[in-house]
Amino acid sequence: MNKLRATIGLSFIMAIGFSCIFFSSCRKKTRDGMIIFTRFPKKVQNINYVTGDSLRYIPQAQIVALDPDKPESSLKVLTSDYYSARAPQISYDGKYLLFAAQQKQNDPWQIWEMDLNNLKSRQVTSSKENCTDPAYLPLGRLVFSKFSANDTLKAGHSLYTCNMDGSNMKRITFNPHTYFASNVLSDGRVLTIGSQVFPEQGSPMYMVLRPDGTKSELFYKGAEGSNLSGPGLETNNGKIVFIESDKSNPGEGNLISINYNRPLHSRVNLSSEVKGDFHSVFPQQSGRLLVSYRKSESDRYALYEFDPEKKALGRVIYSNNDYDVLEVVLTGKHERPKKLPSEVDMGVKTGLLMCQDINVLEMKHVGITSSIPKSSRIEIVGIDSTLGSVEVSEDGSFYLKVMADKPFKIQTVDKAGHVSHGPCGWIWLRPNERRGCVGCHEDPEMVPGNRVPLAVKTSPVIIPMHINKVVEKKVSLE
Amino acid sequence: MKKSRIISVIVFFSVLGLIIYFPGRKWARGHVNYMTAVEDHPLNCLSCHVYTQKSGFISKLVNRKYLSPFNLAVSRDGSRLYVVAQESNALLVVDPETHKVLNKIKVGNLPHSVILSSDGQKAYVSNEWSDNVSVIDLASSKVVDTLNTGDGPAGLSLSADGKFLYVVDSYSSNISIIDLNTGEERKRFNAGNNPTGTELSPDGKTLYVTSRRALIEPYGETLKSELTVVDENTQRIRERRNIESAYMMENVAFTPTGDLAMATMIRPKNLVPSIQVEQGWMMTYGMTIIEQKENGRVIQLLLDEPNAYYSDPFDIVITPNGKKAFISSSGVNTISVVDIDSIRTLFAKSTPEQLANYSNNLGISARYVTKRIKTGAAPKGLALSSDGKLLYVAEQLEDRISVINTESLETVGSIDLGGPRTITVARQGRRLFNNSGHTFQTQFDCYTCHPDMHEDGLVYNMASKDMGRNLTNTQSLRDIGDTPPYKWNGKNQTVYKQDGMRFSTVLTRTEQFNYKDLDALTAYIITGIPYPPNLQYNPNGELTESQLRGKALFERTKDNLGNDILENNRCITCHRPPYYTNLKMAYVKTLAVTDDSMLFDTPHLNNIYASPPYLHDGRAATLEEIWTKYGKEDKHGRVNDMSKNQLNDLVDYLKSLRAPAYENNIPKKLHAKN
Repeated sequence: MNKLRATIGLSFIMAIGFSCIFFSSCRKKTRDGMIIFTRFPKKVQNINYVTGDSLRYIPQAQIVALDPDKPESSLKVLTSDYYSARAPQISYDGKYLLFAAQQKQNDPWQIWEMDLNNLKSRQVTSSKENCTDPAYLPLGRLVFSKFSANDTLKAGHSLYTCNMDGSNMKRITFNPHTYFASNVLSDGRVLTIGSQVFPEQGSPMYMVLRPDGTKSELFYKGAEGSNLSGPGLETNNGKIVFIESDKSNPGEGNLISINYNRPLHSRVNLSSEVKGDFHSVFPQQSGRLLVSYRKSESDRYALYEFDPEKKALGRVIYSNNDYDVLEVVLTGKHERPKKLPSEVDMGVKTGLLMCQDINVLEMKHVGITSSIPKSSRIEIVGIDSTLGSVEVSEDGSFYLKVMADKPFKIQTVDKAGHVSHGPCGWIWLRPNERRGCVGCHEDPEMVPGNRVPLAVKTSPVIIPMHINKVVEKKVSLE
Repeated sequence: MKKSRIISVIVFFSVLGLIIYFPGRKWARGHVNYMTAVEDHPLNCLSCHVYTQKSGFISKLVNRKYLSPFNLAVSRDGSRLYVVAQESNALLVVDPETHKVLNKIKVGNLPHSVILSSDGQKAYVSNEWSDNVSVIDLASSKVVDTLNTGDGPAGLSLSADGKFLYVVDSYSSNISIIDLNTGEERKRFNAGNNPTGTELSPDGKTLYVTSRRALIEPYGETLKSELTVVDENTQRIRERRNIESAYMMENVAFTPTGDLAMATMIRPKNLVPSIQVEQGWMMTYGMTIIEQKENGRVIQLLLDEPNAYYSDPFDIVITPNGKKAFISSSGVNTISVVDIDSIRTLFAKSTPEQLANYSNNLGISARYVTKRIKTGAAPKGLALSSDGKLLYVAEQLEDRISVINTESLETVGSIDLGGPRTITVARQGRRLFNNSGHTFQTQFDCYTCHPDMHEDGLVYNMASKDMGRNLTNTQSLRDIGDTPPYKWNGKNQTVYKQDGMRFSTVLTRTEQFNYKDLDALTAYIITGIPYPPNLQYNPNGELTESQLRGKALFERTKDNLGNDILENNRCITCHRPPYYTNLKMAYVKTLAVTDDSMLFDTPHLNNIYASPPYLHDGRAATLEEIWTKYGKEDKHGRVNDMSKNQLNDLVDYLKSLRAPAYENNIPKKLHAKN
């Protein structure tokens, strides 16, 4: 009798256990392949790159999820507890949703993470300033944009990284640019839209940098007058897709593809045959794209499929006359980017910059050097003052030790003291970063010649030059 | 009673187990932490104590003998492939239709290349570790003759009339001309440094020989690699052409019209401080193209792209119509397809300044590379069918030949050569060693700086904490498992540490190897990199008179004046056999003013003749210079009392040093495995 009871009891417990496993796995299954997007009740308006208004801080936006096979019946608002929410990102294991949200109307925007199994959220950042556009970094960190209102670098958004619980927050950009729409490339670098805000507003362009803020460089720059607004996303065939407006029609977004291998010279307008505006794009495993698209300005953005091979729109997945469909992501596991090692050492106060030859300049066409006279000095210009003037070595090289995390520009000066080239864009070096340039404003596709720069045969010049000596902690020799 | 006894026994063993387990585990953790220099490497005894066994029963159990196809040739009618299976010392006869291996013909040690006689009756196979060429009668599939050559025969060419065989001796850096009627070596002359590739021009008048290593020059001088040009009619050197800023020119091919010659190459950045990988700051890869006319120009074009590098280019073949070239990049498992007409256009429409700039431009490849075709692990030798419709690729670390349609540029077949099905841990390590996937943007791999798992003869500015400091001469990896610690400053006590996190931070600049991969890489490095025989200076262990005198000097305890030499200033103290290192740090007063203060890990001296330049920063071009130029204070051994003849004897002896495996006559260890 006891045995029978024990057997029945054991069977009952096992049945419950198996049921739990079954239902929980079913539930997980249903989350994969769901489309998550932002919808916005008002019309998308002109954007402000500095403040992020009308682009990042959209009132009453909602993040919703739907099953693409039954879009209407399955639609679920995921952020009903928030005044406004946007910028959804799916974790690499497919289990979590990262987003930016404003809990109440006048709250600052913060970064939140939602467990897609139980739809419970937790706050990641707790900043007095707006935080937005989060993206997962490999192995437990994220990158996001944070507004810096009264910064010496002027107003704008800088990039920060932090742990998934918001701890160990680190700023990684230090120039007077504003940064938005970050995404992490499979090579581990952060691809982000950077736009100069000081001394004058610059065009937005895709910049790429390591997650520790080192090795920032240009990735893609559109034609004069073009605009970028959303993240550049990698496809599974080596392309990066994004939305770009052009000068002739600033309101219109084109769907653009570039090659990861050669981003500056591989632009293809995938939407050249499609009339209308695109707002965002998300690549699917199948190679097809999910896009938010509207036929004309009087229409609302709706969710479509897009075939990049045929350059044609596919079926409408979801449309609603009361909302614009803005940012789209697909749930499910996806490949984790590489976790890049960091050379940053916060115990070190400076970074090292070496240029191989300042007279190697940008070439309009390969092989045709500019007619600008040879330069013999460089001037290093800070935000508020000149940081120094340095005579370059005979071979045109220079070697600087620069105070870390301070922005500066470099301009070249000829023997007569005239500025011959520059200044370049804002540069910063992270503590202990070592960085090299082939030339000044050189063709970004050029590699250094194999020769020893004369400048590195002597000690680096300390910048700002009024500092005679920097006492660094001892860095052990590798 | 019985029950309680059982319980007592269980309790006893459980307690004993716990007593052993906890301190045992703690000890094991400490041991693994020391060996790996990290605190989270899994406690897996097998990775260190089984997979790294070099010999014996366990080694046999966990390792396999692979084929490793390296080069190949196709019969004129396309019915047979002849595949050099480098690590099974054989030439495989393969039917490309049925994908069957018809015959396995044993040849010499570590065969390198195969070439077929013009009548298709014979195959010649160069045996790099036997210093000879096997002559095979293809009808009977038998070796009918063995031709002696210089040291390390590699590339092969036949004269236009088929009467002479040109053999490139890669170790002794010669070209041997063998009269095929007599089988005798008729001439031997110097080529560049570590030459391997060779090809006869279509008009039969010119033979090109390419070099892998650059000519030895003081650090800072422009890198130059010799392209040796031989006049086929006179069988004399016509020209020694220095190809600047290039090395590892593995192979060369002519267009059928003979207007261009194209050689694979690496353009390294060893003179530039190694501060970043981005923007091609460490390595770039491409081809040297030589116009075949009076005052013909030489240009260098990269295969790379701004965010993707095509590392370790090895072979190049050109289709019979002269339109396409195929280049194997073994570090990224890729064949690049090059449109040769586009290159002709570049020649025609570019100014000299433009042509010079192309060599440092990562974007220019978009003009002539029309496709990248993926292959299996480590594509090496290439061969085209005589109609040019099929390309055969030797996938060295797959034991496979892949077949590519040269019109559709798609892989249309794969021929399994019948190697072991299992990929052992060490074999996986070898794949990792040869693959650039673990470097940022695939810019280089271990093999790039350690070709043949040896060293590339270059000195790098490693820019560890400052730029322009601590120049580093690349060290050989042969048999290094037995000679810890590693690096010139001896900071890495194990291979695990050497290739762990620091490797990623300082060199590859991308995610470090995961521990499974690190285990595999370590297993390969420790078990799989044997020394070649020292056939040039010590073929059979019998030293010459000069070498014997040198040995006495090496082991001496008194100088020429009869004074005792301090023990720590005798050669034999620090460089004691079998690896000629005491595995300790030493002060030999060779620090440069740009070096940080450090002692040096005493380097091993086996096959030291093959590792110029010498000293930690490569300042000594020859072994002699270690003492004649940089040992004047007698801190690196007592030598200044020696006469010139004595120093010559000492150097002769040093050149005779070879691997312990050869001294102990352990044939199993003579060949590469994994």
